[in-house]
Amino acid sequence: MNESEVLTTLKILIIGESGVGKSSLLLRFTDDTFDPEQAATIGVDFKVKTLSVDGNKAKLAIWDTAGQERFRTLTPSYYRGAQGVILVYDVANKQTFQRLDNWLSELETFATKHDLIKMVVGNKIDKEGREISREEGLKFARKHRTLFIEASAKTKEGVQCAFEELVEKIIQTPGLWEADQQSGLSLGKGITDAQQSCYCVL
Amino acid sequence: MSEGVSGEETKGAASPIKPNHAELVKDGKNSLTLQCERCGCVVLRPGSAKFVQKELFLPHMKKKAEGTDPNGETLSDCWLVDDMYTFDNVGFTKNVGTSKYLICADCEIGPIGWHDVNIKNEFYVALDRVKHV
Repeated sequence: MNESEVLTTLKILIIGESGVGKSSLLLRFTDDTFDPEQAATIGVDFKVKTLSVDGNKAKLAIWDTAGQERFRTLTPSYYRGAQGVILVYDVANKQTFQRLDNWLSELETFATKHDLIKMVVGNKIDKEGREISREEGLKFARKHRTLFIEASAKTKEGVQCAFEELVEKIIQTPGLWEADQQSGLSLGKGITDAQQSCYCVL
Repeated sequence: MSEGVSGEETKGAASPIKPNHAELVKDGKNSLTLQCERCGCVVLRPGSAKFVQKELFLPHMKKKAEGTDPNGETLSDCWLVDDMYTFDNVGFTKNVGTSKYLICADCEIGPIGWHDVNIKNEFYVALDRVKHV
């Protein structure tokens, strides 16, 4: 396939409480140089990233809430048109897990595409003092029919996988995206797999 | 930062293209892949951006020697892109006034370029802030 052929462009949001590591997830996507001292003085608003999944190339615009979560309700324009959402909690902070319900209902209110794909990410598994077990996370994800993964932006575990799974799922959902160039289409085997739970085992 | 043999900056919109920049332009576009200087992340593919001269004042990427403007420098050789999805990988900072700075999407070094939020279809990358491979 021609390198420049891109199947589609997708809008992905990363939401969750302050301090759960949303920005780090955004950074860790394709990168191997995680910097704990990262001193972004201005702060990152969003990123455009190119990702290959099953031989399809997708361009993602990934939006971080950029601190707006402190005002509790994000602006509706932030949600508009999103095809995928990554809901992040900190496995060592129970409150951030409990708040996921609120984030889901906000999503319900403002998302314009109601079949958008959701993924719950239990972050910071490298940290001591876990408060939410993997099973609890899985149970929540099953209940709300979302994808689920545990990750650590610090050790890179799971991060790339989270984005790939999400994009794969979006591409498998007809009507959620539009092909930029028909010729680039080459859907993989997984298209008939109707079950929503493809867990990434690491 | 590498300086061209006679690549001294001249002020004014008509500043000549730096000699080491001319060879990077083919049919008015970038002949090579643009990558992050630090981590090699691909920013733009060959032939995807237009060469233009526009004076951009960008904060320094690296700490500068004494005697230079501590706030930044003016660069005029740029790559212009009219759609943000043309980029393979790029990051945007939050607004500074009406500007957003472009940064590496992976390691976040920057600014490598500039965008005015009021001009939807203009994204500039400074030739001196990326490597051409």
